[in-house]
Amino acid sequence: MDLVEIKFYAAAREAAGVPHVHVQPDSIEEIIASLIKSSGELARVLPQCSYLIDEVAVRDRSIQVKGGSRIDVLPQFAGG
Amino acid sequence: MSATLKPLVEQGPELSVDEVRRYSRHLIIPDVGMSGQRRLMNAKVLCVGAGGLGSPALMYLAAAGIGTLGIVEFDTVDESNLQRQIIHGQSDIGKSKAVSAKEAIAEINPFVNVVLHEVRLDVDNVMEIFAQYDLIVDGTDNFATRYLVNDAAVLLKKPYVWGSIYRFDGQASVFWSEHGPCYRCLYPEPPPPGMVPSCAEGGVLGVLCASIGSIQTTEAIKLIAGIGEPLIGELIVYDALEMEYRKVKIRKDPKCPICSDSPSQTELLPDYESFCGAISDGAAEAASGSTISVVELKAKMDGKEKFMLIDVREPGEFEIVRIPGSILIPKQEFLNGSALEKLPQDLPIILHCKSGVRSAECLAVLKQAGFSDATHVAGGVLAWAKQIDSSLPTY
Ligand SMILES: [Zn+2]
Repeated sequence: MDLVEIKFYAAAREAAGVPHVHVQPDSIEEIIASLIKSSGELARVLPQCSYLIDEVAVRDRSIQVKGGSRIDVLPQFAGG
Repeated sequence: MSATLKPLVEQGPELSVDEVRRYSRHLIIPDVGMSGQRRLMNAKVLCVGAGGLGSPALMYLAAAGIGTLGIVEFDTVDESNLQRQIIHGQSDIGKSKAVSAKEAIAEINPFVNVVLHEVRLDVDNVMEIFAQYDLIVDGTDNFATRYLVNDAAVLLKKPYVWGSIYRFDGQASVFWSEHGPCYRCLYPEPPPPGMVPSCAEGGVLGVLCASIGSIQTTEAIKLIAGIGEPLIGELIVYDALEMEYRKVKIRKDPKCPICSDSPSQTELLPDYESFCGAISDGAAEAASGSTISVVELKAKMDGKEKFMLIDVREPGEFEIVRIPGSILIPKQEFLNGSALEKLPQDLPIILHCKSGVRSAECLAVLKQAGFSDATHVAGGVLAWAKQIDSSLPTY
């Protein structure tokens, strides 16, 4: 089965310690849950991120991510 | 990658001899030339904020010869601004930032007409102010204003040149719903209150303002003159420590509430502060460094850590949905002090509510009462239902 590629940016990339990982297809919320189990740092950053599945932002985190998809994980901040 | 768009602004009158001399380095670039410069000089650009991002943006827009520069700013210059807000100087401390910026612009380029809007941007004034301009450059420093600016720009069909900075990270994009996604297509919702520190709390590398502000200025000039490929449908993610600019493609969200083909929201929201769950200064101070996410809470449960989870909502809300293991002590009991005697001294206390606003207020009470290791849950039970257990009902 094709895996899902997760690409981390900015603070998420720092927290993950790697630019990207590959995981089994699952729902976004399950993928997030398994990622935070692997790193306490990610637990702090991931809840404030936007998730783009194949370039479109996710609104419903229960949706299944298909194998072969890419998820961009983008931390949100508002400084100016 | 998007194709070149037609110029946003018509050509203004011919240049005077003085103007030809001033803008000669633009005029001899074939892609800008006389027609591009006449468009810049005929353009009306609004900069929201004359702070970190607004400083370089306003200075370079002024130098480029933008005809009218509007500035929305009600703050005054503080010494702590000068590390990055380079449009202001030592002698401006205590002065209105709008006035200080206007004086700096007059020194850079006296041909620019500067219009000051010394007000706090809100739902009552944003449409009237934006309507006077061709393009909006965003240099604000909070989520509520950014969502307000986005929605107004979408409703008025204006390009929104967006940038944001924090510590060593920057992001920039052009949101223009006529041609691509909007801010809400990229960030559907603000993060839970208390979760993301502001630059005032977390700091920012001063020169980052130039890195991101100059991208915004470049994109504004390109749109006005109709040159190059605009940063529409793409996000620049800048990492100053790695010295990397990465591009992330973003598509229009077919379900975007404001910019999709059948939007559910056809006017401004009544209150952007409450949309972003803004909390009082006291609550924000208590929550700073004492906020955990729902995933951290779940990890504590899975790890069998000992703590008391207290839901500070009302009984009716507790009936609808609750986080497993929580007990109910409504907020009022914290405010009148009666909750304190029910609390254990030997267990860490974790508070939560619906979205994280009420629990932050109760946290402030607990901290004052000496419960220094108490925390609260960002996003409350709504975040729990969204991120941990989507089978739960929300309200
Ligand atoms: Zn949108």
